[in-house]
Amino acid sequence: MTGTAPTLISERVPNDLRARFRLFVHDSGGVVSIAVFFVVMVAVFSLITDTFLTQANLLNILRQIAPLMIVAVAMTFVITTAGIDLSVGSVLALVNALAAISLQAGVPWPVVVILMLAIGVVIGLVQGFFVAHEGIPAFIVTLAGLSAIRGTALLLTKGYSIPIDPQSPFNEIGRGWVFGVPMPAIIAVVVLIAGYVVFNETTFGRYVTGVGANAEAVRRSGVNTERITLSVYAISGLAAAMAGIIIAARLGSGSSNAGGGFELDVIAAVVLGGTSLFGGRGTMVGTMLGALTVAVIGNGLILCHLSPFLTPIVEGVIILVAIWLNFRLFRTGMRAT
Amino acid sequence: MLRNDASIRVRMEDISKSFGAIKSLERVNLTLRAGEVLGLVGDNGAGKSTLSKILSGALIPDSGRIVLDGMEVRFASPADARRQRVEMVYQDLSLCDTVDVAGNLLLGREPKRRILGVPLMDKRKMHADAARMLDHLGIRMPSTRLKVENLSGGQRQSIAIGRAVSFDPLVLIMDEPTAALAVAEVDAVLNLIRTVSAKGVSVILITHRLQDLFVVCDRIMVLFEGRNVAERLIADTNIEEIVNLIVGRKFQSVSAGPRPAAGAPT
Repeated sequence: MTGTAPTLISERVPNDLRARFRLFVHDSGGVVSIAVFFVVMVAVFSLITDTFLTQANLLNILRQIAPLMIVAVAMTFVITTAGIDLSVGSVLALVNALAAISLQAGVPWPVVVILMLAIGVVIGLVQGFFVAHEGIPAFIVTLAGLSAIRGTALLLTKGYSIPIDPQSPFNEIGRGWVFGVPMPAIIAVVVLIAGYVVFNETTFGRYVTGVGANAEAVRRSGVNTERITLSVYAISGLAAAMAGIIIAARLGSGSSNAGGGFELDVIAAVVLGGTSLFGGRGTMVGTMLGALTVAVIGNGLILCHLSPFLTPIVEGVIILVAIWLNFRLFRTGMRAT
Repeated sequence: MLRNDASIRVRMEDISKSFGAIKSLERVNLTLRAGEVLGLVGDNGAGKSTLSKILSGALIPDSGRIVLDGMEVRFASPADARRQRVEMVYQDLSLCDTVDVAGNLLLGREPKRRILGVPLMDKRKMHADAARMLDHLGIRMPSTRLKVENLSGGQRQSIAIGRAVSFDPLVLIMDEPTAALAVAEVDAVLNLIRTVSAKGVSVILITHRLQDLFVVCDRIMVLFEGRNVAERLIADTNIEEIVNLIVGRKFQSVSAGPRPAAGAPT
């Protein structure tokens, strides 16, 4: 489609290589910058600690990161519709506690797993109903969820930690190894790949992006946009339940205190990766790098023997700076040209 | 001039619409032939938008009837109108900025292929289909992979029109498609309107840019305070006459038409 056609629409987008590269940077600038930032973080922690770049620690990070990665994949869908799910930490806690309670009550472990995942989906559907059908802002709905769901977990456990029988095969979900890789890491990779394919290659993923960019346009093209919005909250509930199961299995106990502040780590990972909080713009590769970065920072600061009271402050500052650089260098800068 | 012949695609008869005490339209008539471009003009508040919204199903008239291809139709919603192949181009309501050109053209009807039983978008076919759609209408686009947000205003408008045309409409309504476009882009959009009408689509063009009317329209219909005041074939009129009809009196415009001779009384 080159050459001069009679209907020449003035081309603001030239076709030369430099322009194409600029476009590529514009479209995936967030991903490039978080990739650079991630590499820098790994380099820094490798230099200032002896233990960071060891096989044991890297496998440890992989295992620890799984719940964050799984929920961040789901959260990418939610945020891309211009929504948010603040309740994921609470859903994680509720499932965590309920899994331990039902295992203690003698429910077979495969049933427990299916039941817990179903609970996550149902919670997501209820919240999604208020967001998609009733039009209440997602922030409010899931903030209420954050409070009420953790409250339910506290009520069920009375605040106690509930042990899981160490002999139960359930624990393998969190502790098992397959071909030298921790089981949670394998689950996370499977979820990440599935998330990537659904987000980029299916019409569902396309409509998720469309709803965030211009919901009216998607509705007018005959798509049931309410169902799309409802679905992303169900997905996020499902992912949070998965994370709750993995953590219960890894720790061998269930507690209503699990996953405190988890939603913030997840949102930080997604936004760090370059997904826009305003919707319409999401990236799975970015989310993967964002989650890795959040995990590396957390792990690295501990290995630096930084005071645990200082860790959250440093973490917060690093994340803010990363997002600020991302905005400055790759968003507003490109917009102005 | 407008007899009851088979080439008449739309006839709106005695359309009235009030909003509270304000009569927006009073017994307005509109006729549109197949493949014709009709310019709909009038001052702000003359009822152009109300009339076009009634034809596109967004508003329901208080009285009057709409006849489409000889059959009386009633539109309760824009979806009803679209089913009867009456499309309105709303640029802001039809494009997703962060989706590419092909994705926007085919939004809601993406071709699919199955891999291991999973239905995925057939992106190669999407880009091929989109390129064909654009070529068919003579729309030039550097790539169908560009995100719409990276396009200029004229290119975006062309995509919105191309998308509407792809639904194979009988009638296409465009409200100010050339507003806020650069000169070259206005030409491209006007060319596109001509291409569309040459394919047999009837077009209603609402615009304040009177010079555009004389480039693409076959006929101009003027509304004044919710009433028909005039209809002119392009060959029988000029900008000054249209300006006078729009404002409802003799009017010496400094912005339209030839400049008054130096020293002429104003």
